[in-house]
Amino acid sequence: MKPMTKDNAVDIEKELNLSNGNVSKGVNSVKLSQDEVKISAKDVRVKYGEKEALFGINLDMPKGKVTSFIGPSGCGKSTFLRCLNRMNDTIDGCSVTGQIIVDEVDILSKQVDTVLLRAKIGMVFQKPNPFPKSIYDNVAYGPRLHGLATDKNELDEIVEISLEKVGLLKEVKDRLLEPGTGLSGGQQQRLCIARAIAVDPEILLMDEPCSALDPIATAKIEELIDELRGSYTIVIVTHSMQQAARVSQQTAFFHLGNLVEYGETEKIFTSPVDERTKGYITGRFG
Amino acid sequence: MTELKESMQKAHARLKKRRAAEKRFKMFGVGALAFAFLCVLMLFTSIISNGYTGFKQSYIQLDVVMDETVVDPDGSRDPAKMMFSNYNALVKTALKTKFPDVTNRRDKRKLYGLISSSAGYDLRDMVLDDPSIIGTTQTVWVMASDEVDMLIKGVFDRTQPESTRPITNDEIAWVETLEKENRVEKRFNTNFFTAGDSREPEQAGIQGALVGSALTMLVTLALSFPLGVMAAIYLEEFAPKNKFTYLVEVNINNLAAVPSIVFGLLGLAIFLNLFGMPRSAPVAGGMVLALMTLPTIIIAARAALKSIPPSIMEAAIGVGASKMQAVFHHQLPLALPGILTGTIIGMAQALGETAPLLMIGMVAFIADVPSTPFDPATVLPVQVYLWADSPERAFVEKTSAAIMVLLGFLITMNALAVLLRKKLERRW
Amino acid sequence: MQTTIFTFTVLLLALIGFYMGRARAVSSVGGDIRQLHSLPRHYGYYVSLWCGLPTLFLFILWFIFEPQIINSLVLHNVTAINDETSSAMVARILSDIKFIAANGTNVKSATPEMIAAADHYLELKKIGIACLGVAVLAFAIVGLVIGNKNIGEKLKARDQVEKAIRVLLLASSIVAILTTIGIVSSLLFEAIRFFGKVPLSEFLFGLEWSPQIALRKDQVASQGSFGAVPIFAGTMLISFIAMCVAVPVGLLSAIYMSEYATPKVRGLGKPILEILAGIPTVVYGFFAALVVAPTIRNIGEGWGLEVASESALAAGLVMGIMIIPFVSSLSDDVIRAVPQALRDGSYALGGTKSETVLQVILPAALPGIVGGIMLAISRAIGETMIVVMAAGLSANLTANPLQAVTTATVQMVTLLVGDQEFDSPKTLAAFALGLVLFCVTLCLNVIALRVVAKYREKYD
Repeated sequence: MKPMTKDNAVDIEKELNLSNGNVSKGVNSVKLSQDEVKISAKDVRVKYGEKEALFGINLDMPKGKVTSFIGPSGCGKSTFLRCLNRMNDTIDGCSVTGQIIVDEVDILSKQVDTVLLRAKIGMVFQKPNPFPKSIYDNVAYGPRLHGLATDKNELDEIVEISLEKVGLLKEVKDRLLEPGTGLSGGQQQRLCIARAIAVDPEILLMDEPCSALDPIATAKIEELIDELRGSYTIVIVTHSMQQAARVSQQTAFFHLGNLVEYGETEKIFTSPVDERTKGYITGRFG
Repeated sequence: MTELKESMQKAHARLKKRRAAEKRFKMFGVGALAFAFLCVLMLFTSIISNGYTGFKQSYIQLDVVMDETVVDPDGSRDPAKMMFSNYNALVKTALKTKFPDVTNRRDKRKLYGLISSSAGYDLRDMVLDDPSIIGTTQTVWVMASDEVDMLIKGVFDRTQPESTRPITNDEIAWVETLEKENRVEKRFNTNFFTAGDSREPEQAGIQGALVGSALTMLVTLALSFPLGVMAAIYLEEFAPKNKFTYLVEVNINNLAAVPSIVFGLLGLAIFLNLFGMPRSAPVAGGMVLALMTLPTIIIAARAALKSIPPSIMEAAIGVGASKMQAVFHHQLPLALPGILTGTIIGMAQALGETAPLLMIGMVAFIADVPSTPFDPATVLPVQVYLWADSPERAFVEKTSAAIMVLLGFLITMNALAVLLRKKLERRW
Repeated sequence: MQTTIFTFTVLLLALIGFYMGRARAVSSVGGDIRQLHSLPRHYGYYVSLWCGLPTLFLFILWFIFEPQIINSLVLHNVTAINDETSSAMVARILSDIKFIAANGTNVKSATPEMIAAADHYLELKKIGIACLGVAVLAFAIVGLVIGNKNIGEKLKARDQVEKAIRVLLLASSIVAILTTIGIVSSLLFEAIRFFGKVPLSEFLFGLEWSPQIALRKDQVASQGSFGAVPIFAGTMLISFIAMCVAVPVGLLSAIYMSEYATPKVRGLGKPILEILAGIPTVVYGFFAALVVAPTIRNIGEGWGLEVASESALAAGLVMGIMIIPFVSSLSDDVIRAVPQALRDGSYALGGTKSETVLQVILPAALPGIVGGIMLAISRAIGETMIVVMAAGLSANLTANPLQAVTTATVQMVTLLVGDQEFDSPKTLAAFALGLVLFCVTLCLNVIALRVVAKYREKYD
């Protein structure tokens, strides 16, 4: 097979864009000052073996706000999210190029230790994935790994604060030592969020955190995201446009491995520039 | 860069230790794999280094006078009489003339021991083939005895003091004389493949065991393949989901984990003592191994049948086939490669199995090559066991060589199974 | 010989039946086969089955019962046998009679009475074969006629044939159950006879094992002692050593292969383990006796230790090597079944691989791994050839791995190989040991399979 080069990757990109009738190169209407930017991606490309999944993403995400990624399935939004804490490293044959600058450091560089990076950038997954341990141990897992507590009392405190922050403390106070897998789906997901914030991260990545939950649990999580904003920079991938509209300040629309349009959420949903964004938002495809 | 948060500082401090632990753990994994590799390597080198000489056999050239007074004392040239003449005397005379200095009785016996006792049979066959050689002097190559063979192959160290080696200085001197005269030769050991078992290492061969194994495997295959496939078809396609079916399934899974020697006890108590089947016979051994292999084949066949998508069955039934027809016309042929792979693997297991066969008497010393499944026989792994138990040093070589043959068969079978799987298996 | 002829006759009749049935079915509808319920060949099969199946049953019954009937008839006339004769004696007389029948009267044991019995035996055999021939032929022909008569336009031949095939399939799956019943009943039957001679408490709690044979016939009661404790202890010692090798190596290599190894290393490591798994146990036994035991002895002597030439350590070590691939493939399955989401969860919190493995994956996989280890233990205690070739024969009660101990399987082999005396406690003891072995491994297997199945359900 012919090796994929940058040039013919661009060819493919053009082809894909052509097939949708519009050859624009991503609309970016978000203008941020240097201080406001927390995460800045520059020409991020991802390949799974020979197959390209992302064709050069440029995107700045603001500090202390919620940025959401939307787009049809397979558009690369989750792949891009997983680049932000190097989770793609765990996949065989996945290669990421480009730059992602967080606090002046390119996190894609080899020198960056993924262990510390992931302590700084937490992640919540599509399906709640509590460890088959007690609720307490689930939350304490991260702090223990990183040695954040010097004694038992400190650890107790961290666990309690984290559970408090996600509003779970009241519900599980008496059964901290029961298995986390015994909770309801929504509670499990909040437990996972508590687990992530227990390591005191600066950024929280959420990969469709509500897609496995019922509407009531979803509402709770959305509320929680709103509360967490400010203390954390949050990036959320979502399948639901309503959710993006509800929780995020910025929205990025991905399509076929390209960033099509990025702007203030309100603007994206009321007056999208790109035809494809318009099509997706009005429900013509996706 | 901005000042690190407190939590990040703490995490940073621990990082070195954690990375070291990570490395250590990874090394344990590498070590485990390396240990397994080392075991394979040691096993194969020890077997091959001991065994490869087994495919060669030393021969000694002698000038034998076909003395008429020994071969055919009454001059009748009657083959029936000449069958029983003392041909070994000819060998002894030839050795005596070669080494005339040997006079002492004990030394003489040693001298005669240079040559395998099979030499007499070789001479007999020569004479019976062509009686006109009687009275002439023939230059013949005869098999060396096992100890001389070991000496020539360098297994016995000539430099060691005499008391610590199993061969005397005199014997070494004789062999060296013969070597100097180019009367010693190592040839490919065809005898190893064409002879049955023997008490004499140099005469022992694996043909009896090979044929015994083949007959046993034939019985095993003939029983376990059809039974296994039919049972798998029933359980996978027809069995109702009830207690009885559950019992059968649990039972099959457990049988697969029952120690093989217990199957031997079953064979002894039921097949031999109750049904009165012949002891040591491939038919009994094959039946025991068939029962042992059955779970493997059933489990493999069920997995193969399960992997066929139900749409095929639905399509066949949709055009009016009965369930039985759908199974036999579509499911079974499509699952066959998987079933065959499982069967080959099961047969390879059975071929290497020893313990249950000991129980039903397949360990007897049997020099004849069996011709039917009802004759007493032994099989290759049991032959290995028997030889491994023999004290003669030369049997170490034979054992290792027999193991090489056995492993050769097993590797071929497993490779065949892998090939079959790769070639014929379909992904749905 | 005759049975082969009978078989071919029946097959021929069945073939004829096939064509007759088919022809009759076709002619019953005047050649318009669309009017038939089934295809013409199904009617052929139908008649063939009628012809062959009952005959097959007859054959099987005959094979099972013929020897017993003839034996009892022959022995009935032998005066040397009365109610008190031991069954071993009966067996010997019987084999003598058969020997005379096969080899003529020029044998030592040929007394006139025995010769008469041998003649009787041959005659009965002849009658038996003749009866079989007549019965087989009658069954086949009657079957043929009945089958043929049933054929008509209305007969649902296909359904009938399929019903028969279904029964055949069911019968095949019952073979597995019969095997278990055979194992249990034979072990139980012989073990009960053993416990009739040696008290159960002595067997289970006795500390002395020396099953010598009595030199004189009347010595039966006073022979040997059968306290199996040293054997159980030896079995456990060797299995323990084996597990000490197999569990860490097997588990670690499985972890390495599934979590760390690049596809290239995996492609190299898997065949190595498969080779280890494919080597027959007799080869391991030879390896243990030829290489490992002397090496351990030499090393031990170098340190001034006293090492038996058939040390438990050598046998256990090699057995451990044999079980490595078993443990590793079972653990590999189990570890792979742990959902990727759990790994992701740990990595996303900044866990290293080893932390993820030790604190998340292994605890999650624990039930499965424990089940796998139990299966491996069951395999270790049932393993025969390695210990037969590399472990000792004398039953020492010791926990020192450098000394020789014996195992249940070794004793079973030594007690049964070459010995045909089927009444002495010595041979029966082998069945008692077999029963214990079977029960223990069965328990381990049942529990382990349940644990593993439960575990799989959890993550499926």
